[in-house]
Amino acid sequence: MARIIDLTAHSAVYATRLLVESGHEVIRIEPPRGDSLRRLGPFLAEAPDLEHGAYHLFLNAGKRNLTLDLTSATGREILLSLVSTADAVVGQSPFPVSREDVKQANPRLVTVEVEDDASPELCAYARSGLLAITGHPGSRPAVLGGHIVYGGSGLYVALAATVALYQAQRLGRGSTIKVSLQQCLETFVEAAMVAYTFEDRITQRRGYRGASTAVSGAFPCQDGYWMISVPHSPTGWRAFVEWVNDPVLMADTSLEHEANRLENRDMILDRLAEWSRQFKKQEIVEEAQRRHIPASPVATALDMVHDPQLEARGFFDHVDHPTLGSWNWNPRGAVGVVSGRTVGPAPRLGQHTAEILRELGYSEEDHRRLLEAGVV
Amino acid sequence: MKQAQRPETSASPAGRDPQDAPPLDGIRVLDFSHVLAGPFSTRLLADLGAEVLKVESSVRPDRLGATKMELPPHRRQDRPPFFLNVNRNKHSITLNLKTAGGRQLAAKLAAKADVLVENFSAGVMDRLGLGFANLEPMNPGLIFVSMSGFGHTGPRRDWISMNMTLQAYSGLLMVTGAPGDLPTSISNSWNDYIGGLHASFGVVEALAEREKTGKGKHLDFAQLECSVATIAPLVLASAYHGKEPARMGDRSTSVAPQGCYRCAREDDWCTLSVQTDEQWQALVQAMGNPDWASDERFALVLGRLNHHDELDGHIEAWTSQYSSIEVEHRLKAAGVPAERMRRIDEIVGASDAGQAFQWMEDPPDAMLVTRLPMELDVGGSAPLAPAPRLGEHTNQALQDWLGMSTEDIAPFTDEGALT
Repeated sequence: MARIIDLTAHSAVYATRLLVESGHEVIRIEPPRGDSLRRLGPFLAEAPDLEHGAYHLFLNAGKRNLTLDLTSATGREILLSLVSTADAVVGQSPFPVSREDVKQANPRLVTVEVEDDASPELCAYARSGLLAITGHPGSRPAVLGGHIVYGGSGLYVALAATVALYQAQRLGRGSTIKVSLQQCLETFVEAAMVAYTFEDRITQRRGYRGASTAVSGAFPCQDGYWMISVPHSPTGWRAFVEWVNDPVLMADTSLEHEANRLENRDMILDRLAEWSRQFKKQEIVEEAQRRHIPASPVATALDMVHDPQLEARGFFDHVDHPTLGSWNWNPRGAVGVVSGRTVGPAPRLGQHTAEILRELGYSEEDHRRLLEAGVV
Repeated sequence: MKQAQRPETSASPAGRDPQDAPPLDGIRVLDFSHVLAGPFSTRLLADLGAEVLKVESSVRPDRLGATKMELPPHRRQDRPPFFLNVNRNKHSITLNLKTAGGRQLAAKLAAKADVLVENFSAGVMDRLGLGFANLEPMNPGLIFVSMSGFGHTGPRRDWISMNMTLQAYSGLLMVTGAPGDLPTSISNSWNDYIGGLHASFGVVEALAEREKTGKGKHLDFAQLECSVATIAPLVLASAYHGKEPARMGDRSTSVAPQGCYRCAREDDWCTLSVQTDEQWQALVQAMGNPDWASDERFALVLGRLNHHDELDGHIEAWTSQYSSIEVEHRLKAAGVPAERMRRIDEIVGASDAGQAFQWMEDPPDAMLVTRLPMELDVGGSAPLAPAPRLGEHTNQALQDWLGMSTEDIAPFTDEGALT
């Protein structure tokens, strides 16, 4: 397994989390006062602190942590010494040490440089074209919640890292891959690009109703919302009508054709919304699935905590966390479930500084001096 | 590094120096996947140099992008444009898996593949005799990737999923938007991209592991889990507090003001995000130093966070006088981070955007396609090549992968296995 130095910002930090899920050793380097990811709420504590931010706890889970003042020459020297023991550095471009120094410290090193102009997430989202397709028609557009879009960019960075490591393994030499954050976000509007270049059509926000097929969308039920997507085909429609048992929809056989359903979409969807109010989220989607109609709960983050499918697949496992105690909701992650690995707790700020310095050959005395100088 | 025995198929093609080849050069991917998550994933592998052989049948072609669309006569008419974008750089073989011959050839091809990708419902490949358990004895190095909606285990493994139902199930709709908003979605196939990227990452990790162990594995990805993982921090917070996380709309938990503000034209918006007190002063100046802005409560970030609604009212009164282009221009000139909401027509062909799209020759035409958003300094990525016609490489693949002659192929053609 590779040793990876993590200098990523939020826009790419999911990459190094995935490398942990895959079994690699990841050393995250932070400034001695902690980085902004630690300051991002919500917090798994009554008051904000540096150890209980939800994003830090998930995205840094299983990593080792070294604090280093990279604005100081000594800090950069320690980084280069660590680089000489590593297989890869993944981080925001430009790195705090020069490319030449890095190559000299370790000619076989793999570097993944994320080109991110540090625009605020919302602004980058707007510039990429994603904002124009998120939200409800005509109303205020929304950025994806939970910084999900950085999951997308982090995934591209993870792909770059694994590819470069694989290539280094085969060729016996390192390489550099540059990943453009803006381009990563733009790839997710490719369907709009195709519609525009082939049909001159500008994709707009479609909201929650009729977004994919005529009869699709999120509809209210007793305890929230559920989502249905009735397929284009006449058979899909017949299965749906038989279930809903609506005399008006049953009587009109012209609705077997998707084109006619599109024309009468609001009428159909209004009736569907009225009908589904009597059911609970789980019962209605289970019945739909029993009838082979694609449906799902419109789940909340809290619903996920006790989801039967995630539970059965072992998506969450148990961890003994130093301050949260015995904690049952440690996500293995999508790759962790597949690789069968557990991911340890997120490190405290500077938790592994002493042992990493020791591994690099620094003495106790050196460590004390570095502490006093504020380098670590 | 010690090289364990590798399957013979992963050798680089003769004559090419591996230093000059894309990283996945020589890797053979047999791709049974349809629509988007799988084909997107294998496009990434193709861009990285893998040889991707897409398995389809004329009785069951990949329906990606198949809406009735009037295409100009100079365009390729054989497949929909979106299909062409997602399936470029691949080869195509037609195999009718309903025939014994079709299944037999599929199994033989799988025996020669490094990677097999499928996104059928759980159990479908097993019923075709093409499950991991069937293929692994013939090809112990095979990396078998499943990409079903919910995974091949668990009580909901047979549930049908679509992009929108996965967006909903993963929590995306209820963490996006402001408090009290209706479920709020993104109008693209977000989950397919997220799932596809996870799978490609998993494939390359498995290839690296195989270099050492010589062994393949079954990667049973669940699209749901891929999407939930990207929301995991909020799931953690919910588990801890026993309640839903706050929906933030376009706001930040740590800086203010931040938002998307209405501008003068129809459905015209500009975002801004004030990161520091200095930027706040710059914003005030850009708005012409209005009286309200001198209010003490707005001087520091905590006050601005606490009075965000009031602040938004004032800011929007200013932004709504101008077009988003004008607002963006004035804010940027003042040093305030801002970007207008751009639709696709302001991205394609722009000098400062749209670099993820690149022209590709597809004779007699050319089309804009999505490229890999990265630059590799060793080996590069694979050059762009048009999507195959249905079954274009059927004979060639049977010759190249299996060494079959025209005479060997004939009985399968007669049986209808190659349609």
